[in-house]
Parts: sequence; C-alpha cells; structure tokens
Amino acid sequence: MPAKDYAPIDENWLENAGSLWTTPWVDKPSERVIVDPIILSHAASLFRKNAGYFYQNPDEAIRMVCHACELYDVTPVGHYLYADYWGQDYGAEIKIQTNSPPGITKRPIKTAEDVDNFEVLDSDELAKGPTLTTHYKALDTCKEEFPNMFAPITQLGGTMEVATNWAAIEDVFMWMITEPEVVDKLCQKAGDHMVSACKATAERYGANVMITGSVIASGDLMDTEQIKRFSFQPVSRAVRKVLNAGAGPGIYYHLCGNHTDDFQMWKNAPMSPFTIVQIGYDGQNIFPTSKLVEHFGDRCTCFGTVDTKLVDRGTPAQVYEQAKEQVIAGKDSPRGFILGTACECPTNAPPVNVHALVKAAKDHGKYEKF
Amino acid sequence: MDIKITEELNNTLKDNGFKTEEIKELIANAESSGQKLKAREGDISIAKGGSDNLTVYAVYSPSELLDVYAHKMNILGLTGGELNEIDYDDASEWACAKCGEIALERNVDMTYMGVTRPGPGLVCPKCNEFYVSDGVARTLKTAEAILEEKRA
Repeated sequence: MPAKDYAPIDENWLENAGSLWTTPWVDKPSERVIVDPIILSHAASLFRKNAGYFYQNPDEAIRMVCHACELYDVTPVGHYLYADYWGQDYGAEIKIQTNSPPGITKRPIKTAEDVDNFEVLDSDELAKGPTLTTHYKALDTCKEEFPNMFAPITQLGGTMEVATNWAAIEDVFMWMITEPEVVDKLCQKAGDHMVSACKATAERYGANVMITGSVIASGDLMDTEQIKRFSFQPVSRAVRKVLNAGAGPGIYYHLCGNHTDDFQMWKNAPMSPFTIVQIGYDGQNIFPTSKLVEHFGDRCTCFGTVDTKLVDRGTPAQVYEQAKEQVIAGKDSPRGFILGTACECPTNAPPVNVHALVKAAKDHGKYEKF
Repeated sequence: MDIKITEELNNTLKDNGFKTEEIKELIANAESSGQKLKAREGDISIAKGGSDNLTVYAVYSPSELLDVYAHKMNILGLTGGELNEIDYDDASEWACAKCGEIALERNVDMTYMGVTRPGPGLVCPKCNEFYVSDGVARTLKTAEAILEEKRA
C-alpha cells in the first residue's frame, strides 16, 4: 500500500506521544508511562498482511508500524528488524516465511577452520550489503515520511546471536564443549562485526542506537560462566569500541529469555547517557520490575516487561493485571521507565491484548509527582 | 614545553572556539602536576582542564598538539559509587602519569541540564581522576544535543 493510501498521522497524538517518549530519557515531566510493545510484523496483521509480506517490503513495513503505533498509542518509533540479521552479508541463504520472520537456511561457517578464515566486513562493505540495504530502506522511509518517528537503530543482537547466524547453533554449542577457543574467536569476530555495523549507521545518520544484549546466551541454554565468556565479555568489548568510535549514543540491552543467574553482571556493562536495560524472564516467570529497578534503576532507563506468551495467548484481563503490577513497580524508577513486552509483539497477538497493556499504563502509570 | 600546532589543527581549534593559549596552559599544568593520562605504548599524553560547564582535553606528543576535544556533561563519579570487581577486561590503553596505574574503562555518572546518566569513562583507580576518550566525546556531543533539544 503506497503512502498516499494511509490516513494522515494525528499531529496532536504524535506530539503527545513524543512527550511521553522523552520522559524516560531526559526526566522531562509528562502525564504517564510510555508503552513499547516492540511492534514489528504484528503491524502487518492489522493490515491483513502476513509476516512474509512485512519483511519483503521494508518501506511498507515501516508505514504499517508507524500507523500501528498511533492506533495503539505507544512509542512513536518506526522499527524494522528481525533476529536473523547479518548472515546474508557473509554468504548465508535466507528464507522468507509466511507467518514468521525470515530465517537462515544455509550458514557460511561449517568447520572450525572456517572460523579462522572468516573475515569481518568493514562499515563501507556492510552498508552496501543485503542486510543494511534492506534495513536502511526501512529507516530512510521512516525518516522521509515520518521524521518525528525516526530513530537510527542498528539491530545487532549479541555476539552469540551473530555467531549462530554465521554457524549452525548445534556446531557452536558443540565447540563450546569440545573447542571453546573456537567460540572465543567466533565471538570476537562477531564483536568486530557489531562495531562495523554501528559505524555504518552512525556514518549514514549521524547517530546510532544499537540493539544488543543476550538472547541465545540465556540461562535456559548456557551456564553463567559460558554466558560471561561468550556473551557478556565480548558484547561489552564491542559496545565499548562502538562508543569509543563515536558511534552511539543509544544502547538497548535486550536480555531475552531467562537471566536469573547472570543478570547481575550486566549492571557493569558499558553504558551511555541513553541506555535501556530490558530483561525477559526470571526462571520461568516474567522478570519482576521491582527487581529490575532495584538493580538497574540507579544506573539507566528500565524497560519493564509483560510476558509475550500472555500477550499472544492470554486474556486481556491477564495482560492488564501483569502490566498493572509491572508499571506500578517501575514508574518511578530514578532514571526512567518504559513498559513493554518481554520480546517482539507476536505477529498474531490479539489487538485487545495490546490495548490492555496500554490501558494498564494509562490507568496505573500516571506521574503524580509531576 | 614548546608544542607545535599545525595550521590545520589551529584552524579547527578556532572553528570550535578553543584558544591556543588556554590549551597550552592546560598542557603546562598537566606537565607540572603530572595529572594526565599517558599512552601505555608510545609517547602520547592526554591533559584535561576546564570548568563545571566544559571539560577540555588536549592530546599531545612531546613536540606536537594532536587533538583537542571537549564535553559539557559534568562527570560526578563512578556509576554505582564504588570501583567493584567486574567480569571483563577493563584495562584501557592509557595509564595515569601521576601514580602509574592503568586507567580502567568504567561507567561514570555524568550530569547535564539536570539529567544524570552513566557514560563510558577512563578512570584512574588510585587517584580517582576521570577522563573520556575523543570518540566518547563525540558520542557525548550527540547526547548533549538531544538533551538541549528535549530539555529546552
């Protein structure tokens, strides 16, 4: 659907949403907590399109996301990304899927020797590659058509996520046991790649917001020492290099999955003045916002979460109750608070559940102190 | 200490509102007090000076001024208040000239326009002195511009 077929964005809404969005970053008073349900291909479902269509049409994807933000009254930022970034740039094959994000089918690294010979691309090469060409098509559309909803985001994932987009996850996990130094090399190269990618975005747009963290490297798949060695340490090195290269200032630590045993180490991860920390789960349960604020609230902006399974399969009442609990626990976090989902809003989540999430913030996230 | 300044750098200094005399004084103070960072490899130093509103850094060799940069965000101290053990190699390429300790790459709290947030600093663990690298200063410039726009 071309831009002309969409109704105009309500400027009053956009101004108000922009004000709510500003509060967690710069402590500027506003009415209530902002909500970010991490809308990606869910936006397509609102337009009777599927995830495959969404990811094959990045310009339209951005339009759908921006209009979904207005519909739900959430963070006014146009997102476009998926987890399996960065494989294609190095020779991987990717498959567009109808009902889920694109997935890598053939990876460039097959053996430990391939890791030695693997060469990381520089920022110029990455900017011309398939991942950023598509990503920038979405961001350029946002900048041109929705300038007040534009953020120069770079989707990195952590070192383990990049590594498993280059080599099969079963190989990487086997090397972790049999030849851990191979995974060290791989994660170091993944970190260097992250720096190149951030530089490319900063060179194009003058600033960069990196989405990094630890998704595969969570307590359900790896022990704490492995997370430290293959995720926390190389990710921290990479983030520091990015900041030392002037390619910030935004850092979004997305710690998806269970982080009961490793979340504390992320307190010392490199931070900039615009840093968010989001932690998905504490064991099998949603990570309590009270715990997030206790450990990170005096450091950076906290992103409290509602279980994505609940948003996908729960009732609106269940979503509302969990969101209420999280927003009450987080809204006065000293360095800002955002309410959202533990991970991307599921493609076919019932819209009433997203509405329930936002309603909880409106009902219980008011800033009386202002 | 007679420091050479190339014409190109001199023009950049003028464009960015830095006065050559002040930069030379900043370097002289660093040399006399020893309060500066020294590259662990090579003969390069970083001196700092300025006020609560602007921290200025001069990067120089024994014979030449190499770079000058600044930030408006005022460093308050270590994020979390203490120099705790951390789980990664935080040794920087710099050492404190005064005490010889390797400067650590740690988060420091910075404040500007009433907003306090962390940022990546270079910390002397013994003297408790704080610096930032030139690249981080570029990152901070973007952060300052956002704060100026949004806090206005």
